[in-house]
Formats: sequence, C-alpha cells, structure tokens
Amino acid sequence: MRPDLRDSRLILLMLAMLSLVATFLAPKIATQRPSFDFLAVVDITGSMNVRDYSASGLPVSRLDAVKTALRALLAELPCPSHIGLGVFSERRTFLLFEPIDVCRDFAPLDASIEALDWRMAWEGDSRVSAGLFRAIDMARELKSDLLFFTDGQEAPPPPARGAPTFDGRASEVHGLIVGVGGYELSPIPKFDDRGREIGFLGVDDVPHESRFGLPPEGAERREGYNARNAPFGAAAAVGVEHLSSVKEDYLRSLAEKTGLAYAHLEDGRRLWTDYAAVASLRPRKAAFDLRPLLGAAAALFCFLAAAGPLLARAFLRARQARFHRHLQPGR
Amino acid sequence: MNALGFDHIEALFLAPLALIPLLRSVLRETTIPSLLSAPADSLSAVARGCLKLGGVIAIGASLLGAAGPYVAGTEAERFAEGAQIVMLIDRSGSMNETLAGRTPSGSEESKAAAAKRILKRFVEARRHDLIGVAAFSTAPMLVTPITDHIDATEAAIDAIDRPGLDYTNIARGLAMALSMFKTSEADLSRAVLLISDGAGVIDPKQRDDLKAEFRKTNVSLYWLFLRTEGSRGISDQSAGDDESPQAAPERHLDLFFRSLGVPYRAFEVESAEATEEALKQIDRLERHPVRYVETMPRTDLSASAFALALVATALLIVAKLAEVGLGVNGGAR
Repeated sequence: MRPDLRDSRLILLMLAMLSLVATFLAPKIATQRPSFDFLAVVDITGSMNVRDYSASGLPVSRLDAVKTALRALLAELPCPSHIGLGVFSERRTFLLFEPIDVCRDFAPLDASIEALDWRMAWEGDSRVSAGLFRAIDMARELKSDLLFFTDGQEAPPPPARGAPTFDGRASEVHGLIVGVGGYELSPIPKFDDRGREIGFLGVDDVPHESRFGLPPEGAERREGYNARNAPFGAAAAVGVEHLSSVKEDYLRSLAEKTGLAYAHLEDGRRLWTDYAAVASLRPRKAAFDLRPLLGAAAALFCFLAAAGPLLARAFLRARQARFHRHLQPGR
Repeated sequence: MNALGFDHIEALFLAPLALIPLLRSVLRETTIPSLLSAPADSLSAVARGCLKLGGVIAIGASLLGAAGPYVAGTEAERFAEGAQIVMLIDRSGSMNETLAGRTPSGSEESKAAAAKRILKRFVEARRHDLIGVAAFSTAPMLVTPITDHIDATEAAIDAIDRPGLDYTNIARGLAMALSMFKTSEADLSRAVLLISDGAGVIDPKQRDDLKAEFRKTNVSLYWLFLRTEGSRGISDQSAGDDESPQAAPERHLDLFFRSLGVPYRAFEVESAEATEEALKQIDRLERHPVRYVETMPRTDLSASAFALALVATALLIVAKLAEVGLGVNGGAR
C-alpha cells in the first residue's frame, strides 16, 4: 500500500525536517542595527580642575566628573558604535585617536579616557568658541556626532565686542555641548611648574577683561578714559574671572549658533538620554541568527505531528459541548 | 572543560513538550477489534520504543539547538616573538612639513603622513606585539595604553597626520612613555620607539631623572630621526669642545641617549624608504619571546543538536512513509 502523502502529520514532519535543514543552509540573514558614532572632545584647561562635583561624599574635579560620565556612557551604547577622543586646550582641538569600536576595543578606550589629564594641555589659554568650531570640523570629517565637554570659561575673557562667528553650516553636525561645573562660583586650583597643587588662583592672577579689540560700550564714562591712551579706562578691571562656574548662557548661545544641543553634565545615564535625544542613528549591517527561530519551528512542527490529533479531538469535543449547552435551553 | 552556556535559555522552558511523543505516536491510529488478535512480539516493542524515543529526540534536540548551546572560549597564554613597544610620536607643527621642509603639495607626503603609513604597516606585520601610543609636543599625552587591540593602535596612528601643536619637549614625552610600562612585567622585552623630526635640550635635572628611570625600567630605545633636508643631523661633526647643546641639540641628544646604559640605536632617515628600512631593522632587533593571551573562540554546539534532531525527524518520516493501513478503514485517519 502506498503511503498517504496528504497525511497532515507527514506534512508537519516534512516541515520540521525542512526547518532543520535550513539551520545548516541559511543560518543567518543580514539586517541593519542602529549604532552611534561620536567624537568626545574634553576641555582640559585649568578651570576644569575646579572641584564642584561630588562622588560618594568627596569633592571631585570637573574633569573627573566628565571621565566618570563618559565611561558610564560607553557602557550604555549599543554594540557596533564607534567613539573617537580628543582634547581641547588653548584654541585647538587635538585628536588623540579616530573612532574605534566601543565593544571590541573597550579596554584601551576606557584606559585612554581614564588617562585624560590637565597636564596634557599645551597652553594655558582657553578659547572655547575656537576650540568648539574646530571640533565641529573634525567631527564632520570623521562623520561622527560631537560631544563637547566644557565649562565655558574663556580665559582670558572674550573681547567685549565681536562675538565669535561660526563659518560652518549650522546643524550639519549633530551632538551636544555638555556644560560642566556647578552653578555657584568656586575657586580654581593653582599648580606650580612641576604640577603640584599650591592653593587657588587669586584675584590678581588672572586678567578680568579683554583689552583686545574695541572697548565695550560705555567705556568713555569710566574713570581716566582717554580715547587714544586709555580707551578701556585707567583702572584695572576687577571681576570674578579667578572663580569659575558653568557659563550656561554663553554655551547655550554657542549651541544655538552651531546647531548643537546643550545639556548640563549630571551623570552618565542623564548624559546618555540627553545624547540619544539628538544623536544621529547610524544603521550598521548586522547578522541576525535565524537558527533559534528555525529550531523552535521544528520543535513546534514535531509537537503538532505527535499531539495534533489529540488537540484536534479536544478542540472538537469542546465545541460539541458548547453546541449542546447552546441547544439545551432551547428545548 | 569550560562552562556550558546558552544564548536563548528561554527555548528550554518548552522542553516538557518533548514528552508528548511518549503518549502519542505520529502514526495513524487503526481500529482493530482486539489487541489479542496481534501476537506479542519483541521486535514491534523495540520499534515502538524507537519511534517514541525518536519523537522525544526530534522535539528535544530542536529546542536544545534553538537555545543556542555553546562551550565558552578559553584564554590561552602563548608565547611568540615580539615585544612591548611604546611609540612616542612627535606632534609638533613641523611634522606636517615634508622631509624637504616644505608644506606638502600635490603628491608630496608630509613627515607625519609618511610616518603614519609606515608605522601602520609595522603594526600590521607584528600582530603579537603589545603596542602603546603616546604623543608629545609641549606636553606629553597618553593616547592609547599598551594593548593588543590593533584597531585601537591603528586609530591612534591614523590621527597623527592632523595639524600638530607647538614645540618638541622630548624629556617629558620620554618620561610619559616610560611610565606606561608596568614594572611587574620587567621580564618582557620592552622598547620605546621615538619618532621625531627634531631634538630638544633636556635640562640637567631631567637628564638625571630620565637616566635613573631608563635604568630602572630597562627599556631599550630606538630613535627614528626624520631629518629635514639641510638641517642638522645626529652624526654632524662637533664644532669644537665648547659647542653647547643648544647649538646642536640633535647630536647632544644622541650623546645623552648613548650615555643611558640601555640598548639604544638611532636611525637618521631622510626619505620614506629609509624610514621603512629602519623599521625593518627594529623589527629584526626586537624579537624576543613575549607572552600574550589568545582568546580561543567558543564552540557552538547548536549544529550538533540540530543534526541529532534531523536524524530523529528523518526516522519518524521513514516510519510515516512505511505505515500501512490494516482492516477495512485502513486509509482513514
């Protein structure tokens, strides 16, 4: 007698076999998975040494807070993301390394972030706007987003007139300007030539007003004003440039100019939500493993082949019972 | 034997389903007036047992395969020829000029770009080295720690032809490079590869510190001096006894390095080809046993589970194809 090829249980077993064969022939399909690429540029100028963050009850410097948050952010990123690292001092952004895979090269990336130090700074000035504009150029070249960590403290203070102009196209590079530092003024640590801390900057240690460019409006009313010899007035300006807080208004204005978003640094998780809100998603090729699904399908087909009639009978009986119950009141 | 792991352990929660073939066969039921009409025979009992077992295995092994079982990979310590190398790269502004001292134009290559190309090839050829990268201009910078992650090292080398910074402060750069070696690994072969296009004057205090540090860490030093055409070189003749380090910093730096008491070679190169030749020599010199950890890939077991399930399913299909009806309603379900 010939086998009955229309037997549904034979068909189910055949399907199971096909699924199992498929685990060997087509185990994976190509899909796309979102990832993030960014260049992190960290301000390493003197004001980043201000200790106005705290961790487990101890004061920590802004730079240390940035490092902790950045390392926590790395752990949140989905896998094929690529991170580059740069430092900012003077008016330049110095690229340490081009973006590398955050998962595969986590150990060196983590160690490099840990090694960031204000002693890497090649000059004491801090021209945040110039550094930011260069960092944006760099991020565009590297086809990455930008995270620019700074407290916004320009040293020496920016000229009174002629705010820095951004030549690039706004919003071409996505990312964040991350404001680092407390809202209260705090003293800035001072170091000697050999890098040892020797107290805090005093009021006489820093210039409080830029004497470059045109004098500010109203300078003619200052004491000792002379249009040719003393356009800024005779007295040295005294201000609070020796103390530091995060300059949010200034950073927000820079963010507006460049099309980046502004966020204040709290911790790694907050940084991740802030960044994820503005990040550009980069779909990357990924392989999706079909074998678990195929295996589960094979198991299901075998199960139905064995238990199918049982289930079908149970189903029928249940329907009949309902049918009878339905009929009974009518009688 | 390593730990067994599963990628999708949830598939195993369905494992009780594999028991159903013990209760129900995949074969058709046939109405027979009495079981006594068939004599008891042990072959049938074996066949029935095999088919039940086949059903259990088909479902169970499929689920096991779906769970993605694997044996975790091990980390094996191996020995190879190589070294721990810290590349200390000059990032002063002059590195962006050509070896002829001009701004690169057309097909000309800057010193930094040439160094980048050649160093990358060097790194790729020495897969078992542990390489760290440090940069220096006025201040030293740790770029990547000593690591066996070649991608990270290459990303750091890729960044070296970007615009450089200010001056050449070799002493602080060297101190940074030496600090990157761990003292616990003093038995390994270690070297600093200094790549610069100029020399600086090291003040006497720093000389003593550096000398002590070099002796302590016992790190050999290779100086790849990218000499700009027409500038002073390492081997220029002394102008006299009263020549100051400021007048010929290259020669005096060379003399200082010779006095360190550690293996030292200087390579003065004026072309990209010569640079490559120098690196080949370093490659030959720095070949000592080096310990490295090789991560063995994990062993995937799901294929075996699927193969087993496939055999069991095939057995059931064979049984299904061989089934015959008995009696009048043999063809019916």
